[in-house]
Amino acid sequence: MNAEPFLQLDRVIHEKGRLAIMSLLAAAPQLSFTELRDTLNMTDGNITAHVRTLQESGYVAVTKSFQGGRPLTTFAITEGGRKAFTRYIDLLEQIVQQSKE
Amino acid sequence: MESRWAAEHLEVIRTLMERAAVYRRALAPTTLLTGSLGTAAAIVGWAAGFESPRAFSLYWMIVGLLAVVGALVVMRRQALKDLEPFWSLPARRVAQAMSPPLMIGLVAGLLTILLSSQGLRVWWLPPAWMVLYGCALHAAGFFMPRGIRLFGWGFVLIGSVLLIVLSQQSDEAGLPSLRNAHALMGATFGGLHLAYGVYLRLTEPRKRAA
Repeated sequence: MNAEPFLQLDRVIHEKGRLAIMSLLAAAPQLSFTELRDTLNMTDGNITAHVRTLQESGYVAVTKSFQGGRPLTTFAITEGGRKAFTRYIDLLEQIVQQSKE
Repeated sequence: MESRWAAEHLEVIRTLMERAAVYRRALAPTTLLTGSLGTAAAIVGWAAGFESPRAFSLYWMIVGLLAVVGALVVMRRQALKDLEPFWSLPARRVAQAMSPPLMIGLVAGLLTILLSSQGLRVWWLPPAWMVLYGCALHAAGFFMPRGIRLFGWGFVLIGSVLLIVLSQQSDEAGLPSLRNAHALMGATFGGLHLAYGVYLRLTEPRKRAA
């Protein structure tokens, strides 16, 4: 079996928590901090740490605003993040495909 | 080994992407509000004796409008409290899914108001509304927790049975007074919502403290 696709997997996305965040953001235009936290059942600290890593890689954009006088933090996947996520999925599919062949 | 792991990963990603589009806001408050409003409206309608087809249709359309406005207010309050966007993608999907059957229900109500003098049987309206509302709930259920679809089926089945019973009545004079239609509306749009609201209240997971 060709191990190359596995080696090409993006290590930033590959981590379980970050992959979950990227999967949710890939399916929605934007999600709030609480939506992410409650859907993934993660702690505030975990979400903050993973999002920071994704933000530093340019995969996620963070927007801070106010709603009804209270702060609202929302996250959205960037163009670069979507490309990296698509590439990650393609590689996973290649790995599955290789085993079928 | 790697391929199995990759396939599992893809499955997890698919599940998470589907979950991103599900409306997760607590439904118990909106359901309880709708149920309370429906029950109260039925009691008022019964006591006030809105028995003309026009008065019956207009009255329940106003109640329906109040229920929608009330639900939106509760949803907005929840969104503000939870620091979430109110008009989120899942909220938009739920609204879009519910719109067509609710629109037909609105048109049916308006037709009853406009054509009531031409002998249009207003008794058709409650079961038709139940079926249409059930369809709306069922459609919304694809973007909400699964129980909503079952709840929608409840309305569809009750409405369908009532439509069959009504179709057996060939003579309008044989139909019961419209006061009973108020009771029927109260039992379904009021009672069913209250029962489901209580069930949701008891079973919805408590919000974690931030």
